[in-house]
Amino acid sequence: MALGDLERDVMAQLWDAGEPLTVRAVHERLSRRRELAYTTVMTVLDRLAKKGVLVQARDGRAYRYAPAQSREEMTAALMMDALSAAPDDAARDAALAHFVGRLRPEDLTAAIRAAGQGARSGPQSGAQSGPQSGTQAGAQTGRAASTGTGEPGR
Amino acid sequence: MTALLLGALGLTLSLLVPPRLAAARWPDRAPAAAVALWQAITLAGVLCALGVVLAGPEELVRAVGAGRTVAAAALLGALAVAALIVARLLVSLAAVGGRSRARRARHRMLVDLLDTAEGDLDIGELERGGAGGGGAGWRVATPGLRVLDGSLPIAYCVAGRHPRVVLSDGALRVLDARQVAAVIAHEQAHLRHRHEVVRESFTAFYRAVPGLLRSRAPLDAVHLLLEMVADDAARRRCGAPAVRVALERLTEPMADTPEAGDAARARRVARLSAARSPGAGVAALVAAAGLLILPTVIVVLPWITRALNEWPL
Repeated sequence: MALGDLERDVMAQLWDAGEPLTVRAVHERLSRRRELAYTTVMTVLDRLAKKGVLVQARDGRAYRYAPAQSREEMTAALMMDALSAAPDDAARDAALAHFVGRLRPEDLTAAIRAAGQGARSGPQSGAQSGPQSGTQAGAQTGRAASTGTGEPGR
Repeated sequence: MTALLLGALGLTLSLLVPPRLAAARWPDRAPAAAVALWQAITLAGVLCALGVVLAGPEELVRAVGAGRTVAAAALLGALAVAALIVARLLVSLAAVGGRSRARRARHRMLVDLLDTAEGDLDIGELERGGAGGGGAGWRVATPGLRVLDGSLPIAYCVAGRHPRVVLSDGALRVLDARQVAAVIAHEQAHLRHRHEVVRESFTAFYRAVPGLLRSRAPLDAVHLLLEMVADDAARRRCGAPAVRVALERLTEPMADTPEAGDAARARRVARLSAARSPGAGVAALVAAAGLLILPTVIVVLPWITRALNEWPL
C-alpha cells in the first residue's frame, strides 16, 4: 500500500475520532482492516506532524495526535488556495487583496463549510438542506465566490 | 543610431503594443499562436533593452570623441547594466518558480490527504452516469484524480512531477459525465502543455520589470489565452456543448474584478461556437518570429553596412 494512502487513512481515523489519539489507538483502529506495523503508524504520525497537519501533545509518557484543523476547515482553506490560484504571486496577491476587500476570508470559509455540510449526505446533513438543495446552494455559493459580490454569511 | 532604434522598438513593445493586443479579439480564434506572439513580444522587449544598454554608451562615446579610458569605462558600465538586467530576470524566474513549486507541493500533499474518492470509484460513477451519453469518446483515464469534499463546484489541476486533477464533490454534482470528462480534458491539457511554466515566466517577467514599464496586460491576456487553449483541447475531446455547460456551472478562480471575471468567462463561452481561424494563427506566428529577429537585425545592420563600406568590391 502506498504511503500516501496510509497517510490519508491515518488522517481519516483522527478526523473520525474527534479526540486526540495515541499511536497505539491509531494503530489499533487501522489494524482492524489490515496488517500494519506499529512503527509504520508511528512514522506516519510523526511525518504528518512535521508537515503541520497534525498537532502533537504530550500526555503522560505517550504522545497524542490530533488534526490541526477539522476536515471541513482544511478543505475550505485548500479551496481558497485553489480559487486564488490565478497567475501565481503578483496577480494572486492582487486578487486576494482585492477579494479580501469585498468578502472576508472567514466568510468564504464559512460559506464553503456551510455548502459542504449542506451537500454532505452523511449524518451531519439535513439541518439546513437536503442533498438536492445542497447542490443548488453550492452552485450559488460558487457564483458568490467567483464574483465576490455575494452576501457573506447568510 | 542603433541604440535609438532599439530603444524606440523596446518602448513600443512594452508600452504601446500590449494594451492593443490585449484589447484585440482575434487571439480568441488562435489562442496558442497568440500566446507565442506574447512571448515573442516580451522576449524582443528584453533583447531591445539589452541592445540599448550595450550599443548606447559606445555610440555616445564615439559621438563626443572621448578618449580611450572613457570608452573603456563606458563599455564596462554597459556590460554591467546588461548583466544586471539578465540577472534580475533570472533571479525573478527562480524565485517565482521556487515559490510556485513549494506552494504546489503543499497543495498536493493536502489534496492527497483530503481526497475522498475511493480508488476507481469515481471513475466508475462517471461511467455509470454517462450511460446515456453513448460512452463514445468522453471516457478519460485519469491518474492523479482527486475529489474534495464540499459542494463549491470547482475543478483545477496541480502541476508538477506528480500532477493532480482536482474536482470538488459539488462539481461532480452539477456536471454530467461528459461534462466532467470535458473538465478533466481541460485540466489535462494544462498539465500536458506545461502551462504553469508559461504562466510563471510571465509572472517572473512582470515582477522583474521596473514599475514605470510594468504592465499587467500580458499576464492577464496570456492567462486567459491558456484557458482557451485548454478549452479547445476539451472541445476536441468532448464537444463544445459539454465545455460550455462546464464553464457556466463551475466557479472560476478569483479575477481581479468581478466584471473582469465575468467578461473572461463570456469570451470563453462565446468563442466555443465561433469558427477557428488558422489564418490569424499563422499571421501571429510569423509576427512572433519577425519580432524575435528584428532586434538582432537592428544590431547587425550597421555593422554589415560598415563592413560593406570598408571593403569596396
